[in-house]
Amino acid sequence: MRFGLNEDQSTFATVLGQMLGSPEAGFKTVEGWGRNDYGAALDARLEENGFFEAAPEAELGTVAAALMVHEVAQAPVCIECAASALVRPFLGGEVSRPLAVVVDDAPGAIRYLPQARGLVAISAEGVRYADLPDNAVRPVESLYAYPMGEVDMTIPDWCEIAVDPADMRVLWQVALAAELTGVLKAGMESVLEHVRERKQFGQPLGAFQGVQHRLATASVEIEGAKLQMLKAAQSRSAQDAAAALGYTQAIATRIIYDLHQFMGAMGMTLEHPLHRWSYRAKLLKAEMGGSAGAYLTYATERWGAA
Amino acid sequence: MDFTWTAEDAAYRARVRNFLDRELPDNWDEIARHGPGSPEQTEFSLEFCPKLAAEGLLVPHWPEEWGGAARPPWEHFILGEEMWRVGEPRGAQYMNVNWIGPVLMKYGSEAQKKRYIPEMASGKAIWCQGFSEPNAGSDLASLQTRAVRDGDDYVVNGQKIWTSYAGLATTCFLLVQTSGAQGGRSGIAIFLVPMDTPGIEVRAIPSLIGHGDIHEVFFTDVRVPASCRLGEEGEGWTIISYALANERVGIPRYEMGTHELDAMVSELQRRGQFSDSVVRSRAAAAAAACEAARLQVYRVVDGRARGLAPGNESNLARLAVVAAEHAVADFGMDFLPDCFSGSKHLSMLSHHERAIVTGIAAGAAEIQLNLVARRHLNLPKGA
Repeated sequence: MRFGLNEDQSTFATVLGQMLGSPEAGFKTVEGWGRNDYGAALDARLEENGFFEAAPEAELGTVAAALMVHEVAQAPVCIECAASALVRPFLGGEVSRPLAVVVDDAPGAIRYLPQARGLVAISAEGVRYADLPDNAVRPVESLYAYPMGEVDMTIPDWCEIAVDPADMRVLWQVALAAELTGVLKAGMESVLEHVRERKQFGQPLGAFQGVQHRLATASVEIEGAKLQMLKAAQSRSAQDAAAALGYTQAIATRIIYDLHQFMGAMGMTLEHPLHRWSYRAKLLKAEMGGSAGAYLTYATERWGAA
Repeated sequence: MDFTWTAEDAAYRARVRNFLDRELPDNWDEIARHGPGSPEQTEFSLEFCPKLAAEGLLVPHWPEEWGGAARPPWEHFILGEEMWRVGEPRGAQYMNVNWIGPVLMKYGSEAQKKRYIPEMASGKAIWCQGFSEPNAGSDLASLQTRAVRDGDDYVVNGQKIWTSYAGLATTCFLLVQTSGAQGGRSGIAIFLVPMDTPGIEVRAIPSLIGHGDIHEVFFTDVRVPASCRLGEEGEGWTIISYALANERVGIPRYEMGTHELDAMVSELQRRGQFSDSVVRSRAAAAAAACEAARLQVYRVVDGRARGLAPGNESNLARLAVVAAEHAVADFGMDFLPDCFSGSKHLSMLSHHERAIVTGIAAGAAEIQLNLVARRHLNLPKGA
C-alpha cells in the first residue's frame, strides 16, 4: 500500500502540471457565447509529447493515465483525454484520436464527436472501432460544455477489435470517474476562490458555517471518489471500477447544486467558468446508467447476480 | 502508487485472523454485544490481551525495550482493522496500545514508564481518559477541573463526563488546569491517577451505546502526588496533540461496517430479498462509502509509515468514516429492521448500536468539518 507517486509518475505529473498551467489551458469566453472551448493547442502538445501513451508503460501505467484524465478535466478548456488515455492504448492497431466512445448503443449525442477522428462502440457482444469519415458527424448544440455530435451508426466502416469488452468497459468506467472527479474538483476550487473573497453581511461567504460545512463535505467526498478511482485504475477490476464510478456519480448531484448556490448569480453567467465544469459533471453523472447502474454492477460483482 | 498489499502484509493479516478464529469463544457475539466499554468485554479483554501479548500481537509496533518488536505502522494498523472487524476483543486496551503507551514512552518519567508500560504490554491494564467535562466537550481547552499544588501533592477538584471505561479502569489519563493557570490550552496539565484514590466517585450514565460505556467521574479533594504528573505544568495540550497525531485516524470502524454489510446481504439473500434493484443499489452505495473511508484512512497510515508530517488528511478520513458507518447502519435498518431486536443477529445489533457514536465521540463531526474548511480549504474564520 503506497499512496505516493513513483519517480516516473512524479515527473509525468510535474510536466503535465506545467502544460495545464499554460495560458492555452485557461479560461476565455467563446465567440458567440459558446458553452465549450475545445483546447486544440493543448491537445496537440499533449499528443506530441506522448502523454496519451502512458497507460501501457510499466512505470507509469493506468494510474498515471487516470491521474492525467483527472488533471486535464480541471482545465477550463476541454480536451478529449479520457478515451485517448485509458481506452485507446489497449485497443491495439491503428486507432485515431481524438476518440469518441459510445457504450451499449446509448441514444443521443456523443461527447467529442465533432473533433473525433475515430469512434469506439463497447457492448456486451464486443468492441467495434471505426474511423469517422468526413461529414459523417453532425454537430449539435448542447448545454453541457462539451462539443457534441450525432452520427448515423450505419455509415462508419466498423471493424471488430479483438479485446475483452468487459475490460474495455472497466477502463471506460475508470476514465469517466477520473474525468468526473476532476471537473468536480475544479468546480469546487473556483467556488472556493469566490467564497473566500465575496463579502456579504460583513464577512466572506466562506466564513459562514453553512457554507463551510457543505464545501468540507464535498471535499471529503471528492477525495474518497478520487482514491477509489485510482485504486480501480490499478486493479482494473469490475468491482472497483463500478464502486468508483457509482460513488462519484452519486456525490455529483448535490455537489453541483451547492457549487452553483454558493456562486450565486455570477455562476449563472458564461463569463465565469463554473459552468465549464458543472455542466460537464451533469452529463458525466448520467453516463452508463448513472450511479444506480454502476452500483447494480457492483452488487453483481461482489455478491452475485440478482 | 500501489493499492495492493505486500505478501508480508497479507500473511500478517491471515495470522491475526487465524488467531482470532482460534481464540474467540463460541459466545463471543454475546460478550461483544454491548461494546468495548461493557463489563463483559472489559473482563474478556483481561483474558484475551495476555494471549495476544504471548503471541506477539498486542504491541508489535512498540520498541523492543518495551515489549514490542518495532514492527512497521502498517502491521499495527492491520491488527487494529482485524480487531475492530470482529468487535474489538481488546476492549478498552486498544487505547493503551494505540496512544497511551507511546505517549508515556515519550513524555513519562522513568518511574511512570516502569510502573505502567509493562502492565500495558502484558495486556492487563484498563485505562480511562478524563477529558470531557460538563462545560468542555468540543471546546476541550475550556476544561475547569483544577489541580492545586499542596506540598509534594496536588489536590484535584472537578468533574469529568462521557468518560468511557471509567467503571473498570485502574488508571485515569486526566486533564486538568493547574493552580495559577489562566485557563485555556496553556494551563492544561496531565496526571496519571489511580482510580482507587480516595475522593474519586464514578457513576455510570445509561446510554444508547452500550451498558457501562460512559460515566461521570467526580473528583473531590483528590490528593495526587506530583510524581503522577505527566510532563510539566502547562504541557498537557502539547502532549494531547502528540497523542492524537500518534493515533491520527481513530478506530477503523468501516472494517466492522464492511463485515456487517456482508452479513446483512447474506441474510437478505437467505430470505430471497436481495434481487430488488433498490436494495442492491443501496447495499453497493454503503459498500462504496466504506471503500471511500478505507482509502482515506489508508492514506493517513501511509503518511505515517513514510514518516510524513501529519496533515489535514486525518480530518477528512474521520468524516469519511462517519458517512460509511451511517450508510451501513441505515441500510440494515431500512431492509432488515427485525434484525435489530431479539437475539438472533447480535453482531449486526452491536454494530447498529455503536454506529450512533461514530460522529460524536473522539471529536464531533462538525468540529472535523470546521477543521477541513479552515485548514484544508483555507476558508476564513467567521466573525
